[in-house]
Parts: sequence; structure tokens; C-alpha cells
Amino acid sequence: MTWSPKLGAGLGLAALIVLFGLFGPLVTGDPATIRDIGLTPPGGEHLLGTTVTGQDILAQLAHATRGSLWIGLLVGVMATLLSGVFGIFGAYAGGAVDEVFSVFSNVMLVIPGLPLVIVIAGFVPPDQRGTGTISLVLALTGWAAAARVLRAQTLSLRNRDYVAAARVSGEKTWRVICVEILPNLLPILASQFVFAVVLAILSEAGLSFLGLGAANSSTLGTMLYYAQNGFALQREAWWWFVPPGLIIALFGGALALVNFSIDEIINPRLRDKARRRRDVVAVEAEVAPVEQDAVLTVRNLNVVYQATTPVHAVKDVSLTLRRGEILGLAGESGCGKTTLAYAINRLHRPPAEVTSGSVTFDDVDVLALGPEELREFRWVRLSMVFQGAMNSLNPVTPIRAQLQDVLRTHRPEMSAPDRELRCAEVLRLVGVDPARLGSHPHELSGGMRQRVMIAMALLLDPQVMIMDEPTTALDVLVQREILNEIKRLRDELRFAVVFITHDLPLLLELSDRIAVMRDGEVVEYATAEDMYLRPQHPYTRQLLASFPSLTGDAGALIT
Amino acid sequence: MTTLEVRGLTKTFHKIHAVDDVSFTLTAGRTVALVGESGSGKSTIARMIAQLVRPTSGEIALTGPDGEPVPRRRYRDNVQMIFQDPFASLNPFHTVEHHLARPLKLHGRPRTEVPHLLERVSLTADFAHRRPHELSGGQRQRVAIARALAPGAKVIIADEPVSMLDVSIRLGVLKLLARLQREENLAVLYITHDLATARHFSDEVLVMYRGRIVERGPSDDVLVRPQDPYTRRLAAAAPNPESRFSLGGQP
Repeated sequence: MTWSPKLGAGLGLAALIVLFGLFGPLVTGDPATIRDIGLTPPGGEHLLGTTVTGQDILAQLAHATRGSLWIGLLVGVMATLLSGVFGIFGAYAGGAVDEVFSVFSNVMLVIPGLPLVIVIAGFVPPDQRGTGTISLVLALTGWAAAARVLRAQTLSLRNRDYVAAARVSGEKTWRVICVEILPNLLPILASQFVFAVVLAILSEAGLSFLGLGAANSSTLGTMLYYAQNGFALQREAWWWFVPPGLIIALFGGALALVNFSIDEIINPRLRDKARRRRDVVAVEAEVAPVEQDAVLTVRNLNVVYQATTPVHAVKDVSLTLRRGEILGLAGESGCGKTTLAYAINRLHRPPAEVTSGSVTFDDVDVLALGPEELREFRWVRLSMVFQGAMNSLNPVTPIRAQLQDVLRTHRPEMSAPDRELRCAEVLRLVGVDPARLGSHPHELSGGMRQRVMIAMALLLDPQVMIMDEPTTALDVLVQREILNEIKRLRDELRFAVVFITHDLPLLLELSDRIAVMRDGEVVEYATAEDMYLRPQHPYTRQLLASFPSLTGDAGALIT
Repeated sequence: MTTLEVRGLTKTFHKIHAVDDVSFTLTAGRTVALVGESGSGKSTIARMIAQLVRPTSGEIALTGPDGEPVPRRRYRDNVQMIFQDPFASLNPFHTVEHHLARPLKLHGRPRTEVPHLLERVSLTADFAHRRPHELSGGQRQRVAIARALAPGAKVIIADEPVSMLDVSIRLGVLKLLARLQREENLAVLYITHDLATARHFSDEVLVMYRGRIVERGPSDDVLVRPQDPYTRRLAAAAPNPESRFSLGGQP
């Protein structure tokens, strides 16, 4: 668990109040003793003054805090248990049980809580309205929202492979729930519990203030009730109603802080306060000599993730992409190939930072472009097809609208019929029937969606296209079709491609030149033929050997 | 000799035949590869054999070394599964030891076997106290293999065991499986979409297309000289630099 100032402050404050509730009543004397010193202001013998009947406020506050905490704890435990039973068990059991449990918690959720509590509490005669009854009523009206959250989370967890694996090894259902699923729900349960406690203390205070609280109980709410009845406000006896109000507010605030910290543990994205730095960094003054016919030149590029321990993701990489060339970028996960592609396009986000080096596109220094020029540069001159791009189409609008959007943004002068023609044309280019323009993404297969993404990248006739694992999620037959399409388009349109993948044989077949990356460095940079016939670096050889040939000697691998 | 016989296995989801009348036999000491594209029904077969999914019809019969049918309650002692994604198949909350000790205990074996299990998958005993997030993908998959061996299983269903791993460690994990298969005389069903590894690591290949087996036979026959048009297309689609640089040089 990560210790944050928020968590520390929250826990510290809550602990102080709990200690006061636990030990305060032992040292402050009897809260009910009536003296003839009504409404004495704070100071002297009575640190927080007295009530209208001369009772010591500090003693009352200690007992009231204890009473409120006790109710909070009772309700927290009961509500968490109820939400756990209905949320977790229902979701794991599935089928009719889940259906019934889910409907029940939804019904409970739409019943307005506080009014119901007031009605129930008002209905039960005062002499039977004990702390237990009030807690039960509060728990019954407060568990449903938590149950829904737990159900959603359990539905996701029960489909995890480790749950299937536990079942395959023969674990019983209750053990799967308690040992495999429940621990992964702990942060959520903790957060729900804390929330239930705060809500219970607040609701109980509200009920007691209305005179509907537990009989003979002493809570912060009853203290406020008596202060109200004793006209504390009109008599300006602030010491009577401010302390209980303050304790409620502080305890609520403390637990809210704890809950924020739990949220950060559940959702690391909230924790990641990426330092927003200037996007553009010092670019080396001297521009390296540009290779003949080069369209994109990367020189000594370094990209660092500025985390607590900085990660040097791209180390001194130099590459040249010629017009009409397919450059393969090969490497395994974490080698920096995607970071490199993002940096070339200036799409990297903090904490990633280009620390040195240059990216030159024709004569343009990409790292020095302003925001407006950058927008013009991306997509118009250099477009990108992302990994899993086929899933990044907007599911609720047809293909036509998504293609036309690009044209509308970058070619505002284009007329509507021209836009339609251009969209149909690029779809034809990638082998998709233009009749599909009216289709929604879910009506297309994965391979077709990926073709649409490539069509979108082609819309503005870019000179360079960066493709990051464009076929990894596709089946081999579809991959083959798309590879053929890329080769044909390159020959027809003469654009250059940076093709990023872990699949070295694919690159050997497709690319003109290949760069092999490992740990942020380019370890070998050669033509496809050289790399295939005469691989130099041991890592290249290892990668090549990792792909057994379909037609080679059988059994050679088994040793 | 332990054998698992699958007869007329069918699974229908909402009137769609995910698996349609599939029959094959897994025998101790042999690896059968089940190849096909996504959605062809391979994983559904794995999940039916692992008793995670109930077949619509057909039967799965397990015969023990004595030639007698294995009783139902002993089924999971004998048949275990290795999942595709080692990042999802280990519980992030628990240590490696938990993942191995539980199946050992459930199948009546002492938890002192844990170091021995780790050793069999080429991991050291100190891995027992680590949690999944401290392991690399390859190490996780080795733990998953050890978990499948823990009950003393004789039939292993490996569902795409290396497709989520980095390319440079895939062969290592496959070689480990092949070695265990020989040493323990296991019957292995190797499910994959990669024809090349299917050829090198199996004795027999079944090619699946839309829930049916369209071609079957010894690996070399099926994958080097495919007869079925679908298998041919599949074999031709795999990236093949050899055809581009047919200068005779070997990499």
C-alpha cells in the first residue's frame, strides 16, 4: 500500500476521534449530572462549558461520540455484509439467482433512503426504538448501491482465467469465492465500508435531530437535538452545538480522505500525477546531413520516462526512411518500439520526454513545430495506424461520418460531394466495398475494421504511414490480405511505411530495411536480405531462431 | 495407458454450432495439435474437456492405465489445463506457493512437493514466496504448467500456451512442455493458431474450421502436404521469408 499525506491525515484524524470516543467517557465524568450553572461558557472547571441544565458539555461530547461511532460501526458491518451477499454471491452464482438478487438491489436502490428511514423510525414506538433497531433500519436502506458495484466487479472477476484455473484444480465454490475472488475485492469492500460508516453517522444524526433516534441513546445527533430544544442558537451558546457538529464534520472528512486514498489504490491512474512539462525540448542545433531521398530522418533520439526512477526507453536511435520504403521495426514487448513511434509523431505524453536528438521530416524539424503546425503535420503528412486500431472506431456513428470528420477538419474547403467521393475512393483502395460507408463498426469484421483504419490514414495522401502492430490481433488469413494490400498501395501511391511488429519473419518478407530494437537500442539495422542471410547481432539470430519454419526439418527443435 | 477419448462432441451457443461433432483420442506419450483461427471452436473444446463448459452433446471418456474407466470424482486428478494468458491465469493476490499447494492438497498430495514441482518446470525453490507481479511472462507460464502437473495429471490441455509470451521465450516454454511430456508420459492437446510450432511439437494435427475438423493426420503430412483447401490457404498465409530470398542460404 502506498502511504500518501492524504491517507496519513485521514487515518490520523479518524484515530483521534475514535480514541476520544473510546477513552473520553472514562475520564470526563457523568454527562447527566445537573448543576445550577446553566450555560456557563467554556473555561475553568468545564472545559467546553455547560448546557442549559448545567451538564458538562465535554462529558456529553465524549459519550455522544462513542454512541455515534458505535452506530456507524454496526451499520457499516451490516451494510457491507448485505451488499457482499447480494452483490458477490449473486454475481458468482449467475443465472436466476443473480437475476433475482440484482432486481432486489435495484428496487432497494430506488427507494429514497432518508424518507423511508423517517417513516420506519416514526412507525416503531419509541420504547422499542433501540440502537439495534435504528442501525438495522439504516443498514437496510444503505447497502444497495454498494451491492451493485460489487456485482459488476465480481462479474468481471469470475471470468478471469485464475478463477477457471481454480475450478479446474477442483476447488469448491465457496472457496473460489472466499479465497480467489474476495481478496481482490478487498479495496472496494474497504471503501464501501468506510462510506457506509460515514453515511450511517450522518443519517443517525439527522434522525436524532428530528427526535426519531434510538430511545435513551446518546449520540452527536441527540446532543444537537437537545441544543435545539434548549434554544442554544437563540441564546448564543455556541459551545453547545458547535462541538458535536464539528466532530461529525471532522470524522466525515477524515473518512472521506481515507476513501480517496483507497480509490487511488484501486485506480492507479488517479495516483499518476504526471508532471506536465513543456512538450517541446531543446533540439540539437546542428542538423545531421540528410540521406539522399530521405523523407523521415531520426538522429540520436533519446526518450526518457521521467518516473521516480527514470526509464530510458529509447536510446540514441538513428533511422532513415526513404521515399516509398517500407522500414520494419522489430522487437519484443518493452523494447521501446512503440515509444519511438509515438515520439516521431510527437504523440508521447508526460512522463515520457524527448531528452535529445532530432526528427526531420523532409526539411521540417518535427520537434520544433508549434501546436498548429503539428496538427497540420500529423495525419496530413504523416499518419498512424495504432495497435488495436480497429477497436478505436466510434461504435455509435457510421464509417462515413468518421472518415468525413477527418476531411472536414483538415480540408474545410472540400465540398460535400467531393468528400463523399474521396471516402469511397480510399475504401476501394483498401479493398472494402464503398457501400459499407453506411455501416456501423460492429457490422464489420475485425479485418474490415482494420482496413477502414488504414483507409482513414490514407485519406489525406500522407507521405509516411506509421503502423504499430496493425495485424497482430488478426488471424493469419486476414493478416495475409492486409499485408498484400499494404504492398500494393505502397507500389501505387509511393508512400513510405514504418511497420512495427514483434514478428520478424513477417518483416523479412515485407520490408526493405529492418531495425531490430532491444532495451531501447537499435542493435541491428540492415536490409531485409542481409538480415535474413547474414544476421550480425546475436539477438537478431535469437529472434530468427524463435520462429521455426513450417517447411524445415521436423523434430530439429526438440532436444 | 491413460487415454482420453472425445466422441461426437458438440456445443451450441444460441443455435450456433461452436463445436460440431468433433471426435479424437489423446494417448499417453503423444501430443495432438489442434489448429485453427480464432472463433473456430478450439478453446471451447479445451473448456469442455476441462469441465468448465458443459457439452451440448457427445462424450468425453477417460480410461486409466489399467484399462478401466476413471470415475468422475477422479477426473480432475488426471485432466488439467494450461491457460493462454499467464497474466490472467494467476491470482494477483496469492503467492506462487498458494497456486501450487492448493491443487496438491486437493488431490491428496503433501505441500512439501512444491519445491519439487518448481524444479520440474526449471524454476528455483525461492520462487514459491513470490507473487505473480514479480514474475516475467515466461516464469508465470512455468508456474501455470507446474500447477497443471500438481494433481499428478496425465492429460494436459494446453490452450495457446505461448501466444501471449514474448517471441524469444516461446520456444523455451514449448520445449519444456515437450520434455515433461516425454518424461512423464503425458497425453497433451496443444491448441494453437501457429502451424509451424504445431508441426514441430506434435505427432498428430487436427485442423479446425468453423467448429468442425476439416483435416487430420500425422503432422508432417497435414502441414507440409495439406489436402484440404482451407489448410492449404492457412499454410500459404504464414509469413515466409524463404520464398523471397531463395538464394539457398540458411539463416
